[in-house]
Amino acid sequence: MLIKVPVSWLREYVDISVPIDELALRLHMSSTEVKGVERPWWDDKVRVGRISKLAKHPNADKLQLATVEYGEDRPKTIVTGATNLTVGDIVPFADEGAQIIDGHTGERTTLRGKPMRGIQSEGMVLSAKELGQGEDHDGIQVLDRKLPVGARLRDVLGETILALELQPNRPDCLGVVGIAREVAAILATGLREPPVDRLPERTSRDLDVRIEDPVACPRFAAALLTGIRIGASPTWIQQRLIAAGMRPIDNVVDITNYVMLELGQPLHAYDHRKLRGGLLVARRARRGETLRTLDGVERVLHDDTLVIADADRALGVAGILGGEDSEIREDTTTVALECASFEPRGIGRTAANLGLHGSAGSAAARRFSWELSPDLVPVALARAVRLLREHAGAEVSGVMDRYPKRRGVVNVRMRFSDIPRVLGIEIGPEETLDILRRLQFVAAADGDTLVATPPAVRTDIAIAEDIVEEVGRIAGYDRLPVRVPDGPLPLHERHPLQEFRERARDGLAGFGLQEVLSYSLIDPAWLGMLTADGSCIAPEPLRVINPTTVAQSAARPTLRASLLDTARRNLRNRAGVAIFEIAPLYLPQRGDLPDERWTIGILLAGNAEPVRDGETWLTPERPWDVRDLQGYVLALADLLDVQTAGDQVDAPGLHPGRSLAFAHDGRRHLVAGQLDPRVAAKWELPAETFIAEIDLSSWLDAARPPRVIAPPRFPAALRDLAIVVDEATPYRDVEREIRAAGGTDLGSIALVDLYRGPQIGAGKKSFAVRLVLRRATATLGEEDVDRLVKRVAGRLQQALGATIRS
Amino acid sequence: MPGEELRELANRAVAEIAGAADDAALEAARVKYLGRKEGALSEATKRIAKLPPGEKPAYGAAVNEGKLRIERALEERTRALREARVARDLGGEREDMSLPPRRVRVGRLHPISQTVREVSRVFATMGFETVEGPEIEWDYYNFEALNIPPGHPAREKWQTLWISNPLGDDPSRPLLGRTHTSPMQIRVMEQRRPPVRVVIPGRCYRYEATDAIRESIFFQYEGLAIDEKLTMADLKGVLFSFARQIFGSDRKIRFRIDYFPFTEPSAEIAFDCFSCEGRDPECRVCGGDGWIEAAGCGMVHPDVLRRVGYDPKRYQGFAFGGGIERLAMLRTGAPDIRLFYQNDLRYLEQF
Repeated sequence: MLIKVPVSWLREYVDISVPIDELALRLHMSSTEVKGVERPWWDDKVRVGRISKLAKHPNADKLQLATVEYGEDRPKTIVTGATNLTVGDIVPFADEGAQIIDGHTGERTTLRGKPMRGIQSEGMVLSAKELGQGEDHDGIQVLDRKLPVGARLRDVLGETILALELQPNRPDCLGVVGIAREVAAILATGLREPPVDRLPERTSRDLDVRIEDPVACPRFAAALLTGIRIGASPTWIQQRLIAAGMRPIDNVVDITNYVMLELGQPLHAYDHRKLRGGLLVARRARRGETLRTLDGVERVLHDDTLVIADADRALGVAGILGGEDSEIREDTTTVALECASFEPRGIGRTAANLGLHGSAGSAAARRFSWELSPDLVPVALARAVRLLREHAGAEVSGVMDRYPKRRGVVNVRMRFSDIPRVLGIEIGPEETLDILRRLQFVAAADGDTLVATPPAVRTDIAIAEDIVEEVGRIAGYDRLPVRVPDGPLPLHERHPLQEFRERARDGLAGFGLQEVLSYSLIDPAWLGMLTADGSCIAPEPLRVINPTTVAQSAARPTLRASLLDTARRNLRNRAGVAIFEIAPLYLPQRGDLPDERWTIGILLAGNAEPVRDGETWLTPERPWDVRDLQGYVLALADLLDVQTAGDQVDAPGLHPGRSLAFAHDGRRHLVAGQLDPRVAAKWELPAETFIAEIDLSSWLDAARPPRVIAPPRFPAALRDLAIVVDEATPYRDVEREIRAAGGTDLGSIALVDLYRGPQIGAGKKSFAVRLVLRRATATLGEEDVDRLVKRVAGRLQQALGATIRS
Repeated sequence: MPGEELRELANRAVAEIAGAADDAALEAARVKYLGRKEGALSEATKRIAKLPPGEKPAYGAAVNEGKLRIERALEERTRALREARVARDLGGEREDMSLPPRRVRVGRLHPISQTVREVSRVFATMGFETVEGPEIEWDYYNFEALNIPPGHPAREKWQTLWISNPLGDDPSRPLLGRTHTSPMQIRVMEQRRPPVRVVIPGRCYRYEATDAIRESIFFQYEGLAIDEKLTMADLKGVLFSFARQIFGSDRKIRFRIDYFPFTEPSAEIAFDCFSCEGRDPECRVCGGDGWIEAAGCGMVHPDVLRRVGYDPKRYQGFAFGGGIERLAMLRTGAPDIRLFYQNDLRYLEQF
């Protein structure tokens, strides 16, 4: 959580002996992240001004002419639309040429005098927004009357602010005093806590406090304050609220906010008139109970919601959001001031249920979702009561503090040697004790044992490691040496799928395909665009319940959509793409995590050549075709020692005449071919788009490490055969029969040519095939070769009805 | 035929061969004199048989000599013609070598793949084994086992994408896109006994608006080392070595306080800026403060160890985690994280 700490406020509790930049760095290193140091940027032309005269603008009803004294001989006359000015007001005045914030754009700008309805405005009086001090742009920021007219605003109001990003383990730092405690420890100096009068308990006939759920609300204190006069809070309180990023409202609300910013503990003020039965009770909401909250929303409360209620009804959601009815009004005179401690997880869950968690939550809710110390409750209540007496006329007529089950005191007993054991560096007992005491721990040595009790506000300290961190961070992590660890190394495992996958990745890139990596969450609508009729090629996907965008709301069960999308976008600026992606698919499983199946996707579309668009001087244009895709798939299989086989199945979404798919155990482990042109059209892709998908673990299962042999020592004999078969006979069958007949002397088979034509007749085709024949132990003789060819020819005739021509 | 005549014949032949202008003329001359059927020398050879025995040896010798001379001349002329041809070629037309070549397709790995590998490689040098785990996780592994129960304010740090299973959800076991690679700390420790040294790269998910430096789907690397004596100084050493190997051996490393519910003590690592080395207040790499925040880390919390059945009195160690994209951006100067996943080939082809 980001908080803003005005340095002048911090100085009230601790002496800062170092430059602010150095303080910021040391806080950043040892305590809490410093997001930035904000410095006043007003230049010399932004001054304290005094309205000495107000007059109507002669040409405009809604504008006034204000005469502003600002320390120079001649006052300036400015035109303003503000309605909250009266003569004598002290205001921020910007002379022409000053740097201000543009009230509309929020950007820094240089003020230029300009005529408004015919009268030149010689400067400007500024709103909080124009000063860069908040969002308020409705009226002029009226300043403290005691400010010297003509002074540079920077000098009298300029405030250096530390912007700190707090971590939720440090609720003690939610108040300026907590930051001061850290500063005091870091700079080894004293801490001056704000003055607090002890408030003795005093029962009252008009107010009682009860806890019905002491787990959810461990401590509940309240004060009944009479004689309240609602009005503006003192300027110094307002200025601090503004500097810390809050908007002043009235003295009661401002003081509760002030105490929250000071100590970290939120408070809530109720108009006592609205409290039925003079009761404040912390209880669970009743079934169906409703509440109109401060944001104007009528809410039905879930029955595990902790509410603060009076005798009859819920007044607010405890710690999160007040109710509308009981809020402080201008005529409020009696206030019930609540100061309580809530179980933080419950606050977190309730806030989440109400959609008010995180940065959407109120300042109080965010603080209560951290583990604030119950010990802050009486301190904050007393501090607020003191300020309300001083600045709102409050008289105390009742004080009660319910704390049924006191939180135990944390005592950490550990060995001094735990510090080097964890940090790897010696920090002596003396230094350790000093650091802990600087942090307001009670710390003592008992021989080798360290006994440390954190201050009550430090709810994050429980075990030895917590103490080690305290000592380490204040001593400085930069004291840790750099050491490369020794000790026994674990035995490592092999990861066959990872290795296989990386070989595939290198292989495909080596073939010249570019790897892409796309979002694993996709638009579910894409899944309906993968077949001509919109039917699904993949199982129903896992869905994101709270997607940031519908475009990322389904865990992809196929790579195809992502590849098509990538191709489509790239083909807008190039003639061809050749890409691959390797990523897991997410396949739902009942009652278990999804099966994350690593998959290879390959896509070719558009031009194969030339490689560089337009560079046709050596290679004429040629589109990718299905043989290219086959080539890549088979080359990959070859590289990975995979025999691609299995049951041939259909390939939905692909062109039925130019695709193939193999399945094993019902799972398609290879799908390759031309995209169904109707699908291509849906994606604005060329009809010639080719896609392959390979299930990596199936291929891994099918991979066989090669049995290597020495290269042949005897020359090969080559024989060409022309094999005429029926048009319907696939080449695969021809090759299979040749292999079957060829035996061990048959090396490789190459398809030389495929011919159709009048010479062989209709319905026939001729494969010209070259056989490479060799024997490992000798040169094959003429007769051996003839015998083998005869055997092959015979087999082809018999099995396929082929005629052989040589 | 007397020897004189043969010598004349050979002289004519040698002269003709020497004057042959090209391979064709040379071949014609060879056929004319040495041709098997009608070559002049062949004719002369046939005549030997018809000579009286006394003349045969002298004549035969003359024929052989003539043949040898002609063959030598042929060889010489052949070589001369070849050399002239080569010389002509060498001295002839110059190819414009600045013309584009016959292009070879170049495929590259995606920059994130490259970076993941680099991270694994570097940690492997320090004995870390690369393991992987599920991206879609149970709340338990992502949060609860890491000391982040429901309602814990630290959950705010890891805004979550919650996942629904079409085959049925179990409200007691919420599914999510892992918000960090840290759940793998738990899975690894559940499966192994110390010593443990693993690095886990992988994809993570956050419910987060994207901008130039943040993606809602992104990659992290996680490290975990558990043994009996590992300390925060060892953690610093490992990350220092990592920084040197990734960004160069002049790198410095800085630890500052940080908070993670599953480590205690916790720290954030920053490397000194390899680009400006802290000298450029306007530096685009480090933003001017001279340091690049790179990862969160700390000593594994005793409660986490206890939860996986490790005795925290005996075992201790460290964990760290950082962003892969951030490393990739720092290493390559990539300007915007989103460009990695737009897959514009004009961009990817540069890595």
